[in-house]
Amino acid sequence: MELKDILNEYGLVGVISTYKFTLDKEKRVKDLHIKNLDKALKMVNLEEEVKDKYLSVLSLDELFKIDLISKLDKDIIIVGNLSSCLNYKEREFIKKLLLKLVNSYHKKIIVIDNDVQLFFNLVKLIVVINGKDILYKTKDFYDDNLYKYTKVPKIVELVKYLNKKGRRIQETTDIYELIKDIYRSVS
Amino acid sequence: MTSDITIMSTNLNKNILKNYSDYHVITEEFTEDDLLKYPKVIFYEVLDKKREEEIKELFSLLKEHHIDYINVTNNHEQVLLTDYLIIYDKEKVLIEGSTLEVLKQEKLLKRLGIALPFMVELSLLLQDYGLIKDIYLDYNSLENALWN
Repeated sequence: MELKDILNEYGLVGVISTYKFTLDKEKRVKDLHIKNLDKALKMVNLEEEVKDKYLSVLSLDELFKIDLISKLDKDIIIVGNLSSCLNYKEREFIKKLLLKLVNSYHKKIIVIDNDVQLFFNLVKLIVVINGKDILYKTKDFYDDNLYKYTKVPKIVELVKYLNKKGRRIQETTDIYELIKDIYRSVS
Repeated sequence: MTSDITIMSTNLNKNILKNYSDYHVITEEFTEDDLLKYPKVIFYEVLDKKREEEIKELFSLLKEHHIDYINVTNNHEQVLLTDYLIIYDKEKVLIEGSTLEVLKQEKLLKRLGIALPFMVELSLLLQDYGLIKDIYLDYNSLENALWN
């Protein structure tokens, strides 16, 4: 099965791999020929003044957002480096936006990152690729085989640790569910 | 004494590096030999792909060679790997101090969009439930505090 077939089935897929921005950093934002630029900037919470800036001087979050809006007219959008470019608040905002693009505008989106935690509440399938080869795919954030390729998120690591110690904690990616379960277990 | 610092920002921009002009900036893949040439190094968003153990080993090596280092990152888990934390709001220092002291300013950090490391956030929430009294950064101590 190829990534394209997987996308047709899932709409939004998380990919463990590396991603490099391909935008020409010598250009200004307004030279990128982004459709409905003003509206697009507003959609990702960027000020109009960004239009006149060269890409080389943009902050990482601005660069990520420009990369994203430069692809909005495509059916398949590939974005990457969310976890390294955006702070927590911005990450959550962009995750909501990506879900909206898939659910309301029927876009297909590939999110490339090395941080599995970013995929919580975002993707239903995680694919590990090397170049064009699919090395592994899983729907399970607690799948040990996934972590042969990337870092284990802290919540997953802790739950696995506690269960090894016989504490019988539910596998979850939600810190509040974890708290409730710990509370039930110790009470 | 070697200084070890993490810098986080509300929006990371290379302009903040101007404040650390005596540091050698690393933005791409590097070897240990590259690092040992300089007395002071800054990792600018370059350690995110590494596992925590690898970063710890790297920092130990730098300490061993008395090299000062700063890790500029958006990864909130990495702040616990250095003793000192500086939070920038755009290009201005907003808070700085020992890492745990800065992290205690939970509300301010969250307002800025900066998340707490998982174990700190979990400890604070478990404190709210009256289940523990301290902040635990390792799983074993947390488990002992909760169940023993």
